[in-house]
Amino acid sequence: MTELYSASGSKVHSHKADIFCRDETRVDWHSKALWVLREKRDRAAASIPEWEQLRQLGSELKLHTLTHLTDYLQQFEQQCQANGIVVHWYKDGQEHNQIVLNILAKHQVKRLVKSKSMLTEECHMNPFLEQHGIEVVDTDLGERIIQLAKMPPSHIVVPAIHMKKQEVGELFHQQLGTKKGESDPLYLTRAARAHLREKFLTADAAMTGVNMAIADKGAVVVCTNEGNADMGANLPKLQLHSMGIDKVVPNMDAAGVLLRTLARNATGQPVTTYSSFYRGPQQGGEMHVIIVDNGRTEMMKDKILAESLKCIRCGGCLNTCPVYRRSGGYSYNYTIPGPIGIAVGAQHDDTNSIPWPAPYVAVVLMYAQLRCH
Amino acid sequence: MSSKNSILSALKQSALTAHPMPVIDIEVTPQPLVDTFAASLATVAGELHQQGGLAALQAKVDELMAQGLQVLSLVEGVSGNRQVPNTAHELADIDYAILAGELGVAENGAIWVSQTQHRVTPFICENLILALPEKALVANMHQAVNQVSLAQGELGVFVADHLKRQILNKHWLWGRTVHAAFRCICISVIRR
Ligand code: SF4
Repeated sequence: MTELYSASGSKVHSHKADIFCRDETRVDWHSKALWVLREKRDRAAASIPEWEQLRQLGSELKLHTLTHLTDYLQQFEQQCQANGIVVHWYKDGQEHNQIVLNILAKHQVKRLVKSKSMLTEECHMNPFLEQHGIEVVDTDLGERIIQLAKMPPSHIVVPAIHMKKQEVGELFHQQLGTKKGESDPLYLTRAARAHLREKFLTADAAMTGVNMAIADKGAVVVCTNEGNADMGANLPKLQLHSMGIDKVVPNMDAAGVLLRTLARNATGQPVTTYSSFYRGPQQGGEMHVIIVDNGRTEMMKDKILAESLKCIRCGGCLNTCPVYRRSGGYSYNYTIPGPIGIAVGAQHDDTNSIPWPAPYVAVVLMYAQLRCH
Repeated sequence: MSSKNSILSALKQSALTAHPMPVIDIEVTPQPLVDTFAASLATVAGELHQQGGLAALQAKVDELMAQGLQVLSLVEGVSGNRQVPNTAHELADIDYAILAGELGVAENGAIWVSQTQHRVTPFICENLILALPEKALVANMHQAVNQVSLAQGELGVFVADHLKRQILNKHWLWGRTVHAAFRCICISVIRR
């Protein structure tokens, strides 16, 4: 069990996949659960006659933005500033973590509530802040589960997908004091709600990721199903949003296209429960947006890798990929697993793409099949 | 060089060639807006009440208050038993928040709500009731994003999909609206 979850270091994908595959029943339900999402996605896509056109538009508008990134990033910054938002630019994870710490220290923040952000995972922000005495509480249910279990996410949209509800029940029993042997999802969810509500109400600051940054409005869009980003960002007076340089889009029209595809591709929902647009700090509050490169401009120098920056992190290719479904998220050696992880993680970890070509083939196939790009 | 300048200068070495912004010209499938909206809302487990307008809403609020529930109304013409508090945190025990929905989107049942003061209001309440004028319906998100207000300092949110039950399969736990309002009721204030 421990081996299954804590595998890390430079072991290659096939070895880690081997570990996951020892428990065949787990592999089967993991695969099936993700296929359920894929099927929902197919139904959602089929319900819109203009689906193919939307995909094409999404792909092209992202490509357009990437090829005019300097302009859009600068426009975004100017508009944000006009809205009273403080904008920071940082080259890598280390710089990002340091500025976050500085902002939090300035406000004497002891507890930070955080909603899902793959970027902060990429930057390994939580352990850094914790070392400096700040309590970081992940507030997405799946994220909180893996945080309590001291594991990294195994999927970019459903981060605790590798865990069975019985395992969650045991974890909550140990950490949150729920009844032993209880694994009823409603009971466990209520327990998590109560536990996290207390954290929201006593947080000193909130941090979220960014699904889209709207250049001409100076606003960030954050999509969640649980409302956790909004519970966080609107209770304490200090809100931080971290984004990769690839998250900017030109305008509301572009956001409209991507909002129509994101949730349908991710979970088959017509739209996420909350798609929130933040255009400035709350009354008496402070809002910071931290723009991070962390290797993205390097990727832009390679034509193929650059295209992978069009990704909107819907997770659709993970749910589709048979290799991912049957080898688990921890077999990939990079924070972002699955087909898209191989592309965006290529520069961080050669073991993903070079010695083991199968996932790479899968990337190509999945892109071809979903044609999200 | 500052990090900003080094990012901007690294971007000059991009291997991508300029691509034009595509024209977003999705045709709107002609459909009765109210019926489509009602159907979408039903699939995302929202409730739609179309009869009786604000008077019916007030009657509902009276019922809730008679049960001892805490109701905050920010909709003109509807009064609850709670006033807007000084701090957002004092909203933690609100059972029902009644807010104005500005725009409803027929394709997905989402409703745009914008909030300047105590922006946490639509999220922190246990249940959310949105009063939406029937004429404020659009067919899809393309139309919606062009009509919503988003003033400086404002939070604007498309609220949708309030599946009360937690989605799960045999082994799998997946919470929706784990933290925020459990239920979204949409009142169309204009009679059909
Ligand atoms: S690459 Fe994968 S995660 Fe990214 S947009 Fe495409 S399907 Fe979604």
